[in-house]
Amino acid sequence: MLAAIPTAGLLGTTGQRIDVEVHVGPGLPGFSIVGLPDEACRESRDRVRAALLSTGIAWPNRRITVNLAPSGIRKTGIGIDVPLAVGLLVAAEELPVEAVRGMACIGELGLDGSLRAIPGVAPMVAELTRDDRLESVVVPASSAAEARVGAGAALIRPVTHLRELIEALRGEAPWPLVDEPKPGGDPRHLPDLADVRGQPWARQALEVAAAGGHHLLLSGPPGAGKTMLAERLAGLLPPLDDRRAIEATMIHSAAGVALPPGGLVRYPPFRAPHHTSTAVAIVGGGTQNLRPGELSLAHGGVLFLDELGEFSTPVIDALRQPLEDLEVRVSRARSCAVMPADALVVAATNPCPCGGGRPGDCQCSEAGKARYLRRLSGPLLDRFDVRIAVGRTSADDLLSVDAGESSSVVRARVEGVRALAGERGWLNARIPPGELDELAPLTTPAREILYQELERGQLSGRGLHRVRRVARTIADLRGEFGMIDDDHVRLAVKLRVEVSAVTRLAA
Amino acid sequence: MSTDLNTSVEVTSDARGGELPDEAFAVALASLDATTTARLRALLHGRSAQAAFEVIVEGRLPAELARSHERDPSLCTRWSSAARRCDVSELWQRCRDGGIDVYVHGHIGYPDALVDDPAAPPVLFVRGDLSTLQRRRVGIVGTRNATPGGLRAARGLGETLAGHDVAVVSGLARGIDGAAHRGVRAAIERSVAAPPVAVVGSGLDVVFPREHRDLWDWVGDHGVLLSEYPPGTEPLPTHFPARNRILAALSEVLVVVESRDVGGSLITVREAMKRNITVMAVPGSVLHRASRGTNQLISEGAAAVLESADVLVALGLDTRRSGGLPFDPRREPTTADRAVLASFGVDTLAVDEVVARCGLGVIDTALAIGRLESEGWLVDIGGWYEPANSPQRWT
Repeated sequence: MLAAIPTAGLLGTTGQRIDVEVHVGPGLPGFSIVGLPDEACRESRDRVRAALLSTGIAWPNRRITVNLAPSGIRKTGIGIDVPLAVGLLVAAEELPVEAVRGMACIGELGLDGSLRAIPGVAPMVAELTRDDRLESVVVPASSAAEARVGAGAALIRPVTHLRELIEALRGEAPWPLVDEPKPGGDPRHLPDLADVRGQPWARQALEVAAAGGHHLLLSGPPGAGKTMLAERLAGLLPPLDDRRAIEATMIHSAAGVALPPGGLVRYPPFRAPHHTSTAVAIVGGGTQNLRPGELSLAHGGVLFLDELGEFSTPVIDALRQPLEDLEVRVSRARSCAVMPADALVVAATNPCPCGGGRPGDCQCSEAGKARYLRRLSGPLLDRFDVRIAVGRTSADDLLSVDAGESSSVVRARVEGVRALAGERGWLNARIPPGELDELAPLTTPAREILYQELERGQLSGRGLHRVRRVARTIADLRGEFGMIDDDHVRLAVKLRVEVSAVTRLAA
Repeated sequence: MSTDLNTSVEVTSDARGGELPDEAFAVALASLDATTTARLRALLHGRSAQAAFEVIVEGRLPAELARSHERDPSLCTRWSSAARRCDVSELWQRCRDGGIDVYVHGHIGYPDALVDDPAAPPVLFVRGDLSTLQRRRVGIVGTRNATPGGLRAARGLGETLAGHDVAVVSGLARGIDGAAHRGVRAAIERSVAAPPVAVVGSGLDVVFPREHRDLWDWVGDHGVLLSEYPPGTEPLPTHFPARNRILAALSEVLVVVESRDVGGSLITVREAMKRNITVMAVPGSVLHRASRGTNQLISEGAAAVLESADVLVALGLDTRRSGGLPFDPRREPTTADRAVLASFGVDTLAVDEVVARCGLGVIDTALAIGRLESEGWLVDIGGWYEPANSPQRWT
């Protein structure tokens, strides 16, 4: 007898349909699995055998052949246990063929027969349900919420144990009901901006960065509060829209990152990879199914690079292209994955290796400082629209009891600006140069200031566009939606400090 | 076999010797391994460079080098074999190709400014116009690890002095030295000004530090570059103290802009004091390591340089007119901006700190800083701001 059960594998952040075909026929008892399985797939036989025996079903002592179609691509991972078990039972005539018509299965089996969650259920279900003939998908109960995100019209059947599945398919028991967690509020437990004492300028920079989607660089001595500020940026962003939320959920699911109750990633994620991370960990890739990297995991939210100068040069260089394209393209000899990567990057750095901060307090040699800044300088620094120096907070501010504005107050303003940007069609940071004259027109005094800055050599052509976009955000935040005037431009220029100015001054 | 080869080399160099000037042999002597200033001076004492070279080729040492011979008995044979291997005409060609002139102490053309110095270099390599040394000269030296303020002071000094037709002598090192010559460059680019003088510690074709290549070539083209080391000599650490003595000897007044409590600038100061040359120092904050050496000098009696004119006074070129300050082209700040400027005092502050001090809102403060900066009242140092020196003092 023959049975074919659809399931799915994973490549990058998208599912790939795989049909598990099982043939049970006469011949010497044996088991072979074909269709380019990897070691984890091959071991599936032993798990399925033990799980069936634990459930009280005899292993068919006949010739068993399993094919993973399409047979040309290499199958990786562990999701074929459940479809293999079901296919085997159908082929061995333990289950009726009609019961599995239009049904797909995803999941790993424990030796006791329990269904275990695997990463990537959301994109897998999304891929499977593109086929209209599919009516239901069996998933491990713990992945039910995640599976529903991608399910569309198809029915999700959460199951905790193989026995329940068999009984339901035989019609001996109804499909089990599983208690599912209700979608809660913001699960990120992000710290609030009200905790930050003093630092009005840095707050201003955070607000501008959040409202316009401008990448932000904080430079300052250790203990100035750069990390504290950066961690609060994600809390200033509005919840994700539906499209973003689904994209982010797919990415998080594919990477095996815990999803919030309810399955859907509703709030902007905050990712802070350590500076020892490799280029693959940041942009994604790997040898097998091309896992999404931290940049993709921060899709729709904030990627925080603390100690930017300590990241290795290949990592920093690898970030450049995705920041422009808003997606990561990972190509390997056999496969290519495109993963969304539209994150707001906030980076923190010391101004020099000793972290001395204030000019003159520093103990570094001029050469050492130049070496340190050389890693930062160049094309990546150019992509930070907002760059500020953060000083240590004064004792008065640190001990003061009046809290500043809380995140929710600032977020309300940010949402206003972002809504406006939605009407214009562009996030402020993304306004194309050609539309700047229309969307961010300059008054004569504003034009004059930019002219002066260009004359003084403080601004490049690309820098000019970036200053104009930041000026648009500043104007929007102040509720001035028309022309960009000189105050806006002046603030935008102030928010764009030359990090290497200390060394450049000698030139 | 090897004897034959040596003989033949000797013959060629002899044969060309007729065409080569005496300076060519001076270059060869200076290029020998283990040549020091003292040894070179002894070799050239009372004999021509060619004669000295031939003495060495023959494997002998002049009587003046008896002490060196005692200390290093193998010196004679090493020099002799090196001298035989040495292609004098090629060395000479290298100098001529590099536009490098060679002057031997006591011969015609050797600069007057150095000829009477007790430690005058026996052989001097020169690129550029040696007549620059006939002008008034002020040495500007200081630390390589200067503060932004120190760099601005050095630059301002260089610019003012050059503008008053005083040649600035410096060492082309990183930090203060380079800043002083950049000031000179600014003065020359703007109008007529005195050309620069640089004394370096490597061969004139070995640029060090590399990032000063443009400045190096610019000094060679517009003023004069000096070295006592033949072309191709690497910048060894021992060369710099020796270079500093020439720098001191060439200065009529030596100004130290910033110096740590130990450092090469203080060697230059010592050399200047030996020669009775006026030493002046620019005072700095007691909190900065970069001004510890200069403040110490002032407390020991060096004249303080509070404005560029102080150096001109020391040279006897007092240009200050009685009454009336020079015209300040900066627009007067508004009352509100003036309050923000006043809150700085003499400190370097980040925007947040200014907000805390002046009591205005963050936006207003940032705008005021922006206006003050574009008018030239404040200077931006990587996100920190400090009040700019008024133009009549440092430029």
